[in-house]
Amino acid sequence: MRRSFVILLLGALLPAGCLGTKPSLHLVDAVVEADVVWQGEVRIRGVVTVKKQGRVVILPGTKIVFEPVDRDGDGIGDSELLVEGALLARGTAEAPILFTSGAAEPKPQDWKYLYFDFAKEAVLEHVVSEYAYSGVQVHFCRATVRDSVFRYNVDGVRFSTVNIEVAGNRMIHNTHGLRYEERGSVASVHHNDIRNNDIGIFAVTRSKDKATIARNNLVDNRNYSVKLGIEQREDVTLPYNWWGTTDGEQIAAGILDRRIDPQLGRVLTPAPLTGPVDISRWREEKVP
Amino acid sequence: MKYLTRFFCGSLALLLALSIGVPHGSACVGKTLVIGSTGTVQQQVLAQLLAVLIAERTGTSVKVADFSGHAAVHEALVKADIDMYVEYTGVGQVEILRKEAIADSDALFKAVKEVYNQDLNLIWLKPLGFANKQEAPAGAPADAAPVVRKDTLKKFPALARLINKLGGRIDDATIEQLEKQAAGQPPHKVARGFLKQNRLI
Repeated sequence: MRRSFVILLLGALLPAGCLGTKPSLHLVDAVVEADVVWQGEVRIRGVVTVKKQGRVVILPGTKIVFEPVDRDGDGIGDSELLVEGALLARGTAEAPILFTSGAAEPKPQDWKYLYFDFAKEAVLEHVVSEYAYSGVQVHFCRATVRDSVFRYNVDGVRFSTVNIEVAGNRMIHNTHGLRYEERGSVASVHHNDIRNNDIGIFAVTRSKDKATIARNNLVDNRNYSVKLGIEQREDVTLPYNWWGTTDGEQIAAGILDRRIDPQLGRVLTPAPLTGPVDISRWREEKVP
Repeated sequence: MKYLTRFFCGSLALLLALSIGVPHGSACVGKTLVIGSTGTVQQQVLAQLLAVLIAERTGTSVKVADFSGHAAVHEALVKADIDMYVEYTGVGQVEILRKEAIADSDALFKAVKEVYNQDLNLIWLKPLGFANKQEAPAGAPADAAPVVRKDTLKKFPALARLINKLGGRIDDATIEQLEKQAAGQPPHKVARGFLKQNRLI
């Protein structure tokens, strides 16, 4: 049965490759174990895993469409792209790479996530990731996430236990713009627009205040600019960010920390910037 | 052309890889917690209070499920179809455990808490602060308190401390007010408003 399926799918792809028309892949609970290049439209149903020996290069303008399936009935779509090998998604400003929902009326958590787990290479540049549970999750690897847009997700960008640079991105209209558990991460989060989310930054737990989160715009988030999780008892310092104001009381009013729950740590916001950050200048401007 | 060739080769490799097997389903969306309700307005508000509090403070996904009554929601809890719901002490003692009514509120709470823990692996957390007079069986008060599966509390060690922040915060007047609000807006909005006003989220 599976052999028949493979042959059928191969037959469908051959003319596309030979004629030079826009290629299209439809992957259902598949594994990738070789070097592949994706372009055109790639549809994913279920879990597609890029194994350790696999390497996926996604070309500018490619559209990755996750079909909405909820096999376990938890209200969260089960289609996902899990990367244990390498994934290099380098779009351009003119032709970004799109990760999106295949639903007729898309909504947050239609699909699960783009998930890097012990990945060998993790590069996202000029991508748009939308309508997922997490626009991207990165764990136990080195990663760069740059010049991208994460919108209409539960978590825009989420990481723990990583070496990561998150720069020049827009995290907008998510439940949490950025969600992280530091857990020994070497993280530099700078020159990002984190706005119009319910929560700008959610520091869930295990932060020892080592992550650098500076030169970001943290404005117009509906409930809080920054929130500490129930188990985050140590202070978190976010220097040199633009909060929409330099007034300490106004900044504090947008933060859930020890001022609201005495068992939590404090969020410290030294040296607030006096104006918005131009996020496109992340290559030129040094992060303090 | 080079890209197309690479694409084709890649596609072929991928297609061959398809035959190897189905990958695991991975975690880190985390388990979705399910909170039960007997479907009354009061129960829906209480379930949403728990749901919004947990989701907001821990980032865990939470769902609310309605059941036809106390026996049904209790059965779902025992079967691990749900993780918690708000029960009333008198109902737990008389209708669920089929034991004698106890008139003293503190003694009743202690009694149901002990039996639920020992016999059912269910934990009664701090009473919320009001009693449901309509659902109280003869001879026993019906103090509302969250009942949670013990294994859920083990998986989420901060959960008991978080839920107990609601302990004693909802008196008779408050629950009446919340129910009135729920006539004009969805229970989750009522719950969110209360939690925000009380600086719990």
